[in-house]
Amino acid sequence: MNSFKALLQREYWEHRGAFLKTPLIIGIVTIVILLLGYFTTERFDQVMNSGQSIELGGAALQNVDPKLITSFIDAFMLTTGSIYHFVLFIILFFFILGSLYDDRKDGSILFWKSLPVSDTQTVLSKLVTAAVVVPLIFTACLIISHLAFFVVLSFLLMINGANPFTLLWANIDFINNWGAFLIGCFAQALWAMPVYGWLLFASAFSKRRPFLLAVFAPLMVGFVWYWYNAIFEYNVFKIGVFKTIGILMAKATTPFTSGLGFDFESIDFDASNQTNLELIKSMLNGLTNSSIYYGLIFAAILVAMAIYVRRFRNTT
Amino acid sequence: MSHILSAQNVNKKFGNFHALKNVNLNISKGRIVGLIGPNGAGKTTLLKSVLGLDSCEGTLKVLDVDPYKKRSDLMKEICFIADVAVLPKWIKVSQLLSFTEQTHPNFSLDQAKQFLSKTKIKMEHKVKELSKGMTAQLHLAIVMSINAKLLVLDEPTLGLDILFRKQFYDNLLNDYFDNERTIIITTHQVEEIEHILTDVVFIREGEIVLNANMDELTNSYFEVMVGQENLDEALSHKPLTIRKVFGKHIMLFNSTSREVIETLGEVQRPSVSDLFVALMQEEQA
Repeated sequence: MNSFKALLQREYWEHRGAFLKTPLIIGIVTIVILLLGYFTTERFDQVMNSGQSIELGGAALQNVDPKLITSFIDAFMLTTGSIYHFVLFIILFFFILGSLYDDRKDGSILFWKSLPVSDTQTVLSKLVTAAVVVPLIFTACLIISHLAFFVVLSFLLMINGANPFTLLWANIDFINNWGAFLIGCFAQALWAMPVYGWLLFASAFSKRRPFLLAVFAPLMVGFVWYWYNAIFEYNVFKIGVFKTIGILMAKATTPFTSGLGFDFESIDFDASNQTNLELIKSMLNGLTNSSIYYGLIFAAILVAMAIYVRRFRNTT
Repeated sequence: MSHILSAQNVNKKFGNFHALKNVNLNISKGRIVGLIGPNGAGKTTLLKSVLGLDSCEGTLKVLDVDPYKKRSDLMKEICFIADVAVLPKWIKVSQLLSFTEQTHPNFSLDQAKQFLSKTKIKMEHKVKELSKGMTAQLHLAIVMSINAKLLVLDEPTLGLDILFRKQFYDNLLNDYFDNERTIIITTHQVEEIEHILTDVVFIREGEIVLNANMDELTNSYFEVMVGQENLDEALSHKPLTIRKVFGKHIMLFNSTSREVIETLGEVQRPSVSDLFVALMQEEQA
């Protein structure tokens, strides 16, 4: 088990920039936007109302219904969470695509394979990194970014005479918002498992361009399937393969893969229309969908194929 | 365990190309074997099978196990340097050592640090900041800190300058090798390693054309400087090769009796590289 831990650590070392810096940078950007927004407002306010509006606004906030404040904060936390979910998938997409290819390209596979680590362990370490480790890092970074954002916001409130503790901190629903994000990450990982499996296989198998194989091979299958049905079965509406790919990608990229059924009609792209508890509930309900288990079986087959190919493919 | 490595009728095909043809080879403990052959002869293919990086037909046992089926177990007892500079570029030296320590039960971190303290390599260096020679030093330091039964080196010094190459083999011989260990080396710079070899294996077009230890070579191959007066007689003994230097003929003989050869002129042990060239040409003729 010690070597599996080392393998996970290895992935972190190699991809620290993508796994750790990216989510922190998003956090910094949200804070910068907050400050820019504040100072712009203040400047305008100074010029037009000699600074009264902000003062009055600050005072007026005291009278706003706390429930309304909570729902505003929820909307903010879930929206930033959505951005993190989306970025997370993009990062994982390229991470997995390179994970079994880059070391063949630069020859370092010959060093990795000189250590007593089995190919099964190596391939699984990439999958666990994508499905567990990086989501956890992202959750931690989201928490740090949110806290930093609220601290900055508290200062702004204090400058303007409002009490940040009663106004802001008392109304933040930390557990449910962060919980929704974390559960969202794992729901996303489960739904995206067939995509991850396919990317792992493409990465292990590809000789030149894993990206082209990963993207165009499924599209080719879709085309062939569509035109076969159109020409020989006179059915121009069979889009089965495209639909499956489309839904999988939608599932994998949509934040809070909330309550999405496995058909287009029930896809609900707007997570922020729901409260955090509704989100959590709908994500968990989604996991009872039987198609997720077909997806996991499909993913297991692809991962096994990736391990098989990894055993003898040492070069590009 | 009789042999460290035993291959019986090992074959490997890539499509129509027959990369290894009925290779039979046994290597016992405590030898330093030079695997020598021209480009594309099948050296790397053979080594890949030995290291479990690729499958092959026939019976191949390394330390009594099938390398392709049990690569990860086997790697506890074997280490290899395949090609120069295959260490990952992005990694730090300290991370590399820590990773090796966690994954390899026979790796000694202290020993590796001790080896590295004699070089200019620092723990916080990244591999991409090191020169090619330093990368090779680092890799050798790691490999020498692993208590392995078999070490395989495939062109470990290609592209390094002569100072690094010499130091590399000196370190290997002085700080690493003992009679409990076995080393297999391939290289094109035969003349640099021939003094450390105990055995040579010549491979050509996937076939083993010579498998002998150095003593056998000394007893059956002779290089003779033949003067003009003995030229006709020398030619009647069918030399393998003839070179002309300063009006004298240097001939290479394969013979069982040293006495006969000695009458022709001054006898020397041929260099492995001369022998290699001679045997490769003989096969082609």
